[in-house]
Amino acid sequence: MLVSEREQLRGNIVKWVEQYGSNRSSLIPVMEEVQREYGHISEYVMQIVADILDIHPVEVDSVVSFYSFLGHKSKGRFIVRLCRTISCEMQGKERVAQQLENDLGIRFGETTANGHFTLEWANCLGMCDQGPALLVNERIYTQVTPESVHDILEECRSTFGVYGPNAQTVMDIRDTDTSKMTFTGVGVDGRMGQDQAMGMEPSAIIDAIEESGLKGRGGAGFPTSLKWKLAAKVNDELKYVICNADEGEPGTFKDRVILTDFPDLMFEGMAIAARAIGAIKGIVYLRGEYTYLRTRLERKLEERRQNGLLGSNVSGVQGFDFDVEIRMGAGAYVCGEETALIESLEGQRGEPRNRPPFPVNTGFMGHPTIVNNVETFAWVPCILVKGSNWFRKIGTETSTGLKLFSISGDCREQGVFEYPLGITIRELLEKVGGEDAKAVQVGGAAGHCIPASEFDRAIAFEDLATGGSIIVFGPDRDMLGVAKNFMEFFLDESCGQCTPCREGNMRIFEGIEMLEKGECSMKYLRELCQLGETMQMASKCGLGQSSPNAFLSIIENFKDEIMGRVSIAC
Amino acid sequence: MSDLLKTDTSRAPGSQWIHRSHYALGIDESVEITLHIDDKEITVPAGTTILEAARKTGIRIPTLCYHEDLCVAGVCRICVVEIEGQKHLEASCAYPITTPLNIKTHTRKVRMARRHILDLMLSEHYGECYACFRNNNCELQSLAREYGVDFFRFGHPDKPRYKVDRSSHSLVRDMDKCILCRRCVRTCIDLQEVGVLEVGNRSCESKVITFGDKPLRDVVCINCGQCINRCPTGALRANDPSDDVWAAIDDPAKHVVIQTAPSPRAGIGECFGLEPGVPLTFEMNTALRECGFDKIFDTNFAADLTIIEEGTELLLRLYKALVEKDDSVAFPQFTSCSPGWVKYLEHFYPDYIPNLSTAKSPQQMFGTVIKTYYAGLNGIDPKDIVTVALMPCSAKKFECNRPEMCDSGFKDVDYGLTTRELAQMISEAGIDLPAMPKSDFDDPFGTATGSGVIFGATGGVMEAALRSVIELVCGIKVEDLFEHADIIPVRGFEGIRFMELPINKVGPVPDLLKHLVDDWSWLEGATLKVAVAHGTANAKRVMDDIKAGGKCSECHFIEFMACPGGCLGGGGQPIPTSPAIREARAKAIYAEDAAYEIRKSHENPAIAKIYNEFLTDGPCSHASHKLLHTHYMPRGKYIV
Repeated sequence: MLVSEREQLRGNIVKWVEQYGSNRSSLIPVMEEVQREYGHISEYVMQIVADILDIHPVEVDSVVSFYSFLGHKSKGRFIVRLCRTISCEMQGKERVAQQLENDLGIRFGETTANGHFTLEWANCLGMCDQGPALLVNERIYTQVTPESVHDILEECRSTFGVYGPNAQTVMDIRDTDTSKMTFTGVGVDGRMGQDQAMGMEPSAIIDAIEESGLKGRGGAGFPTSLKWKLAAKVNDELKYVICNADEGEPGTFKDRVILTDFPDLMFEGMAIAARAIGAIKGIVYLRGEYTYLRTRLERKLEERRQNGLLGSNVSGVQGFDFDVEIRMGAGAYVCGEETALIESLEGQRGEPRNRPPFPVNTGFMGHPTIVNNVETFAWVPCILVKGSNWFRKIGTETSTGLKLFSISGDCREQGVFEYPLGITIRELLEKVGGEDAKAVQVGGAAGHCIPASEFDRAIAFEDLATGGSIIVFGPDRDMLGVAKNFMEFFLDESCGQCTPCREGNMRIFEGIEMLEKGECSMKYLRELCQLGETMQMASKCGLGQSSPNAFLSIIENFKDEIMGRVSIAC
Repeated sequence: MSDLLKTDTSRAPGSQWIHRSHYALGIDESVEITLHIDDKEITVPAGTTILEAARKTGIRIPTLCYHEDLCVAGVCRICVVEIEGQKHLEASCAYPITTPLNIKTHTRKVRMARRHILDLMLSEHYGECYACFRNNNCELQSLAREYGVDFFRFGHPDKPRYKVDRSSHSLVRDMDKCILCRRCVRTCIDLQEVGVLEVGNRSCESKVITFGDKPLRDVVCINCGQCINRCPTGALRANDPSDDVWAAIDDPAKHVVIQTAPSPRAGIGECFGLEPGVPLTFEMNTALRECGFDKIFDTNFAADLTIIEEGTELLLRLYKALVEKDDSVAFPQFTSCSPGWVKYLEHFYPDYIPNLSTAKSPQQMFGTVIKTYYAGLNGIDPKDIVTVALMPCSAKKFECNRPEMCDSGFKDVDYGLTTRELAQMISEAGIDLPAMPKSDFDDPFGTATGSGVIFGATGGVMEAALRSVIELVCGIKVEDLFEHADIIPVRGFEGIRFMELPINKVGPVPDLLKHLVDDWSWLEGATLKVAVAHGTANAKRVMDDIKAGGKCSECHFIEFMACPGGCLGGGGQPIPTSPAIREARAKAIYAEDAAYEIRKSHENPAIAKIYNEFLTDGPCSHASHKLLHTHYMPRGKYIV
């Protein structure tokens, strides 16, 4: 590299560090800028950044190598990422993959000789209802067919040099019919709930949420009011409200719809939470795969600032200052785990922390922090506007209220739907035209595979908990293939810090390959199932604890189908 | 000014410091909590971890990633226990007790999980125990035995995945044996603040990396070897030259001389099953003769020599600054006997190289003296002499291979052996070290002084230097100021220690230094300010304080040791290490010092002799500069 190029590079980095702040927390945003601008992160860059942020170069290296969207290797101007997750697989991703390889003349993981294209796999792009999905730089394509691959690549080729990788993109997404959703009514002016809350004492807000019985919509189902109460109790001038928009669970895309159609509701919910716990800063942690949503969200935030709904003296409440910033993820599913998310925001590898302490006590930068899901925040203004009682009366005793479901797979109507919690799988299947399903995956890759015999089970925290991912498997689906797809996902997405998850997923994946070849004895399968139990009990975080779920439930329910198969090798 | 009082230098997130930063968690340690572990009742202060509580009760919970010196990771999961009412098992090392709990440490679930975790580690652990230097001293192996592992449930690799990194003079990294407990990472980044090792990639691709995954030789590794001492398996070890040493011993044409540093004597017993803190100095002499070494010398002689040269250098710097008003003289003067520290400075604070004493370390001084003075005295051709240095240190291996360390006209020190490697050689020779009769060191260097001995502990170099400076400059006995000549303020394990010594009266200039100054009157009324730091994380704090013009910048002389505890905690010492083990070794060293008749470097008759016979123009003169002093290399931290 020429001296002048290096100087220019250094100048850019200094500029970005100034923009994001000269502390470790800005490491990932700065790296993302470098990645976007230069296509890779060189050793020289890592050393400069380390020097400026006063950390060790190997720490930068360690972070860069953790995130899928950051890398050392030079990538093409167009990074083509094909979703390989189950829903897209069921909709023919394999043929699209083949065509991409044929058309570009490279394999996955490679870059074309002219440096124009890099071909990569992606894990769940949140377009499960309209797969196969393809991400080209920040632009998303859905329902891709082998035929359209050619057009997409041609479009890139013809625009090469006209719009670079930075270009904000047109969207090619099928709209979700949201007309009947509660959000449509409440979210109409983007302030109804917030105005309501600002007339209330902070403790009354928490009480109202408590009465509604709202539980975390990300899937874990922790009572929202309790989380807020704990954070409110801690004495600290600096508290954070973080919105977990790292929607990465295979088969989940309802947050994408909220972020697209109801961002105001989410921001309202954040402001209300801030008022309730006494926070002055909000952060939306938006997954890197949703970068195309960033500009609209930024615009929305600006609009809210102009309308006095963010900034100082929010909604006219003297002394209540609250603003929200958007921070991007960089391609790591595990960052959906709240402590991993916080680590990531602090410029670290997205590795879940030991708990206790919990974020409500020691969160972002050591300050009390609440992390809630996009949908959880969106329900908050609805509850305040329509009343806690309204929400409480819907659903079951312990799983109150409505829930958005992301439904994909072998059914007539894929998409996002609003139903009360407590709905049975059978009822759901009837509504979306999936009555002939032989199994349903509830809760994504981390969830459970439910056979037809159990379709009367309810989707609720006390029975089948889910963040909203429902994947329907028709009568012809190969369930071992499904299990393999899920394990492949975890094999890539485990953070790798704890032994049971890091090695356990690998062993189970190898076991599935043995099953495919007809080489797995019943005895070894039992060993693997026990290993799965250990992973559930002894892993450090929710990812490891749930990663064997799909495998275990598929083995349990479809053992005959799987053990009886004829070896592929034959 | 930088915050010297800050004790938490860790970069680890707050949550991983549970046992050290309860304040951050809002845990009130004054609250006592009564809980049950395996039905035993125990009361502990709030914030105590389950592991600590269990240990207090005498209940054994296995650990791998946990280490007393390091912040909590909670990643290996071998220490999981069952807490009544909780669905998941919890890592006992990472779980602070804040409410009464009912804990079970060996239920079916716990045993199954631990066994599986071991099985999983073994499914990725390439290598055979009998071909591993940690055989019989491996935490993974011990646990496999403890948990009755008698087959590889999930397989065992039959091919290596990684290439062994043998690029460094000091360390060998074999990532095939790594179980990703991250002790080395926490050692390198948190404990030592060097920042060579981190975890790279994720999931099953995770591995401990250097920057750019480069060989150790090409990164900012200072060779301190602290990672070796904390590695539970054989993934990290020192670069072992013992085969070459045996070959030299077996070669009748070679005259093989070994010098032994003070710290290995205080530690080597641990390799033979003794409690830490049993010195085997004179038993070792006999064992070394049995092994076939031709001469056994005491590095303490060279330590005394270092004190004279380095102390004189300090006095000369002071003279230049105070009398000649030369403001280019660099202060504070830094000690240079710890090669890990020297390389740390060369990488991270190269602008401060002028502050480093030019005096070589004792090891290197001795090497030069053996191949010049000793060779001459005995009429041996220095090319036939092989000098071996027994050191508690892995960085000494790098030091003796520095290209400039050839002032005798030959490689001054041919091989650096660690305590562990020598123990291995001794047992290979069938010698039961603790049972050996005692014998003395060889002449002409004989047995040195107590000042040389305490070089092994943090603060020892400073104490030795002060003993001599007080007597040579003030003309009084150290004992007049400090009982038994024990300069207590510079002892101990606190990270950074300060001491001020007012020079109220001066004495006559001793003969040894008459060639340099006429009198000491210019020092009368001055106050000598000194500091001591051990572990490079503390060294960093001192350096940053100097940069910021803080308290440390006012010092005249600072002792730095790269390793926590000083040489007795060196990277070549027996494994394991812990604060208690290091304390026991320190006790042994100070006891040995107290037992010596001569305890001050300048009173060592062999020192007087060498200045009379060989370095006749005295300390810091032309001859000593040529042979006993060196220069350094500004390396910087950027890797091209």
